[in-house]
Amino acid sequence: MPEQFEETTVAVSGPRLHLGCPSCGAQLVVEASLRTMRCPYCAAPNVVERPPAAGVPEPVFALGFALTHVAAKEHVARWLKTRSRFTRSGIRSAEPGEVRGVYVPAYLYSVLAHSRFRASIGEDYQEQETYTTTENGKTVTRTRTVTRTEWRSLNGELKGYVADVLVTASTGLRNDELEALEPFDLRGLARYTPALISGWVAEEPSLTREQCLAQARQEAEERVGGRLGQFMPGDSHRELEHESRLEWEALDVCLLPVWVLAVRYAEGAPPLRVLVNGQTGEVHGKAPISVWKVVAAVLVLLVLVVAGWLLAQGGGR
Amino acid sequence: MSTAVPTVAPCQRCASALEAEDLRCPICGLTTPPPVHGAVERETARVVRCENCGAAMEYSAEAKAPRCDFCGSVTRVETTADPVEQAEVWLPFTVDPAAARAALMGFLGKGGFFRPSGLAEEAAVESLQPLWWPAWSFQAGVDASWTADSDAGSGRSSWAPHAGRTRFDFENIPVPASKGLKVKECEALAPHYQRGSAEGAPRGPEGAHVERFEATRSGARRTVLEAVERLSRERLQQGVIPGRRFRNVHVAVALSSLHTTRLALPAYVLAYRYKGKAYRVVVHGQDAGVVLGETPISGWRVAAVVAGVLVLLLVVLLVMGVFGR
Repeated sequence: MPEQFEETTVAVSGPRLHLGCPSCGAQLVVEASLRTMRCPYCAAPNVVERPPAAGVPEPVFALGFALTHVAAKEHVARWLKTRSRFTRSGIRSAEPGEVRGVYVPAYLYSVLAHSRFRASIGEDYQEQETYTTTENGKTVTRTRTVTRTEWRSLNGELKGYVADVLVTASTGLRNDELEALEPFDLRGLARYTPALISGWVAEEPSLTREQCLAQARQEAEERVGGRLGQFMPGDSHRELEHESRLEWEALDVCLLPVWVLAVRYAEGAPPLRVLVNGQTGEVHGKAPISVWKVVAAVLVLLVLVVAGWLLAQGGGR
Repeated sequence: MSTAVPTVAPCQRCASALEAEDLRCPICGLTTPPPVHGAVERETARVVRCENCGAAMEYSAEAKAPRCDFCGSVTRVETTADPVEQAEVWLPFTVDPAAARAALMGFLGKGGFFRPSGLAEEAAVESLQPLWWPAWSFQAGVDASWTADSDAGSGRSSWAPHAGRTRFDFENIPVPASKGLKVKECEALAPHYQRGSAEGAPRGPEGAHVERFEATRSGARRTVLEAVERLSRERLQQGVIPGRRFRNVHVAVALSSLHTTRLALPAYVLAYRYKGKAYRVVVHGQDAGVVLGETPISGWRVAAVVAGVLVLLLVVLLVMGVFGR
């Protein structure tokens, strides 16, 4: 929709809001980056409504949490137990700490991609070949069948919709983290309504629309590239190049359910951040590797190899 | 078949028909325009209240919906609905049960050397069931990009690569949704329906059975898209891709203006018994000339023909042997 592209956007920043709690009348201080706020006095789950502002698009969709608090914790506990032995001590036995359910803003992008490609297509064929070889001391001529490849150039087009591209709109969740949590089942998409986020933490988009659009275009291009790889005829192909024209772009804010946990595994070490897809239970985190454990393992291996070699030398004598 | 009056504006990007509950276009993924609501004037904090008891309400991951902790009532949120499909267009029966029975008799009496003689007289019609079977009918513009290997222009290898883009317009393409009838029967019946005779309500003999759609809306869309891809692939191989032999045919379709109609099509299913065995015949509900079904085969006649062919072969061999010397 063309009107969506006229806005030039800036990241959410600005003064905190001072709002009255509709339940008890107490003053709420709301961060500009948040959409929800629980009243510290009466615990009423407030949803902040703001007038439309340039650069802060309203969410269009939200994907509700399907995984409960308890289930999310269980998923993380299982994930921690299955980490490699080389992770820092304490991780595999750590207890998941505080779990927070956050609706993370993301952009849902769809486009009609019109690509032109050029590639070299390999068509195999078989040929009889004569060769000479030595058999029983005599030189003989034999024939054999060899497969050769004929390379032909091919130009063509691929036109299709690329829907369901999700890119993060939050500085709190990097796009590679979001990709690790994907896929989300978009059939469960609901039209945004304050009731969907009531009682949960919901962020406002903190990345500009332009940044997200660039990221989304890149992801769409990558998907087209993947499709083209599948699309090539012949027995093999090489030098596949393509350029795409993206038409009819659409970009909508969608709130995604993510459980965020901080796992404390050692005194003094920063807590390990673990993310859980609030819909499917997919867990993502980077458990730090212990340098000492790896060095020790390598040393033990070296000692074993050397010992084995010495024994072999000793045995060979 | 007349297209139903669209009550929802089509998708702005691909012009495909949308259902009222669609949040996004099922073909291209474009967001449907949201219902208009007044913009907020100034920042406010709002508490979502239970419509039932007025208590503050939160979203519950257990209920997968906003739920009131006090009275337990759950608020429905707007999601893409996926109801089971229902017929919207009915074609009336123009063949009455008597005519259907007559059509069966005609079918049994007529031709076919291997049919036992006296089949029409001895067959006992056991049941005659008028029914409407479900089908989708779609129209769409298809922008098909394709690549394939074919024998045209081949060099040392017997295959040469080809690529192209073609536009097809599909109109009134039936896609059977019946579980009771075989796909072959559906395909044979479908072209003989009078497309102009569509009505909004069933009209036919009493006791006519209505076979329900078993697919949900999303399942229906998948089936229709599969049909589009299959048909595009078939049409591409009938004259679009150069050459006579093909392999590695890849087709990618971009649809526009997809419009699907849910049909109920009339037919008679008859069962008859001949020498203790039951056979099934389907008679078209609008054209008594279309009769599909199985007939018994006369074992004697088959044996006679096989024996005749063998004797003939033997004679030929003998003659050849005689002259060969």
